[in-house]
Amino acid sequence: MPKKKKKTTEKRYGNVKPKNYRAIYEEKFYDILFQLRYPLMTVIFFTTVGVLALMIINGKSDGTSVLNYFFHTVITFSTVGYTEGYDTSPDLLMVNRFFATVFIIITIPLVYMYGLVTTVNVFINSNIGEIYSYWRMYKAMENLRGHYIICHFNGITKELMKNLKKRGIKFVLVEPDQNLEKDIKDFGVEFYVIDEPHKRSVLLGVGIEHAKGLVTAFEDNTQDISVIVTARLIRPDKDNFMVFATATTEGAAEKMKLLGANEVIVPDVSVGRRMTSFILHPPSPILSGFLEKIAYGERTDIDIIEIKIPPNSDLIGKKLKDIKMRQETGATIVAIVRADGKMKIAPSGDTEIREGDSLIILGHPKALKRVEEFFKQHQRENQEVEVA
Amino acid sequence: MINWGKVWSDFFIFLALTSNVGFIFSHDPYQLVIAIGVNLLATVLKFGAKKILAAELLATALVADLHLIPATILYFMETHVPLAIGLAIGAAVANVISIVMLVIEIIFEYQKEEEY
Repeated sequence: MPKKKKKTTEKRYGNVKPKNYRAIYEEKFYDILFQLRYPLMTVIFFTTVGVLALMIINGKSDGTSVLNYFFHTVITFSTVGYTEGYDTSPDLLMVNRFFATVFIIITIPLVYMYGLVTTVNVFINSNIGEIYSYWRMYKAMENLRGHYIICHFNGITKELMKNLKKRGIKFVLVEPDQNLEKDIKDFGVEFYVIDEPHKRSVLLGVGIEHAKGLVTAFEDNTQDISVIVTARLIRPDKDNFMVFATATTEGAAEKMKLLGANEVIVPDVSVGRRMTSFILHPPSPILSGFLEKIAYGERTDIDIIEIKIPPNSDLIGKKLKDIKMRQETGATIVAIVRADGKMKIAPSGDTEIREGDSLIILGHPKALKRVEEFFKQHQRENQEVEVA
Repeated sequence: MINWGKVWSDFFIFLALTSNVGFIFSHDPYQLVIAIGVNLLATVLKFGAKKILAAELLATALVADLHLIPATILYFMETHVPLAIGLAIGAAVANVISIVMLVIEIIFEYQKEEEY
């Protein structure tokens, strides 16, 4: 048994306590209560003393009298003083008035000036509204599943967040610089934390274990690398957890890929290449950046996917015109990439499907969903045959 | 070393129980006023305390208050006096639980000191 326990602790790199952002703000609210401790104690103590003293002086303990004494005590230390709540018969009036005078001298500074004024002051100065809005944000953040973690707030991530928002994809922004918080708020980021993203506790706190991927886009390569390494150590599976990053040089990009990033973009190189494509294919209103627009997800009516032919597919060895994919789904195969990496653009109907092929398919997003279903069906049928 | 802050807060927690039990046996209005005052003080003293069982201690104190406030109202209205006594007994149970947790916490703190 102990051996097994040791194994699990070794296996999991993220074996630290996740930072609980919601609890931080719950504690802040609790700190406000702490400040109220002594002022409220003063109020309660003198109220009790006042009621008791009046009960003893007047020798009455019935409900109406006690309520009157309570009323008298409260209007005394709140400096309201509507009326005399005690017995005003001549034999008790003098004692009651003497007590009231002493009580006022003691309670006005202590209960009114200190107790009540401090309580109000604490509420005014502690911006409860702000604490509540943070608390609500972090409470909702805990329920996020399949979201993306974006590190650093800059031009690149701003564009990224804008596009993700348009498509309804949830994300959490992690920014180490406190000074950028106002800009982040103004930009309308739904979930963000101001913290160092290379810390395990922070990444676990923003739900890396339920996240779909992470994007890190610092201007400084070292920061990106430390984030990539930390994230990859917590989520080692490259297929289920994507890490994308930016780098300033090709060399750094290569390093990041080796350390666990799925894809790394060098902004300077990408921009330069896009410029080149404008020069090589002079812009036309329709064709300008057509494929890029599809790849960047700027068009919502057309999309492109890659389908890999698994070894158990019953389509292997069939000709494209025989599988009748276009008739059934409405999408078109625009290219086939063979297992050896050779690409066949616009394949004819006589092209044969082989094991390990990748089919590049273009069509409406709905048609592409049907395509995925189509290829899955051909896979399952095959498996059933094998079982039989 | 004696911790005077602890004497202060523990004093009110114990007094909350003793005054409450006193009322249950004496059915005396003076005792009831003292009991509710001390119980409210004991609640406020638990505000903001960052201890292991802080949440549980605050919860029991609030339970005691929510028994004693209606008990006070009922008792002085002289409508359901037996019910008021019953509520006070409920508050006393909450106070006992509060003291049990206080003891547990003392043990925890003692162990923590040993570790260093």
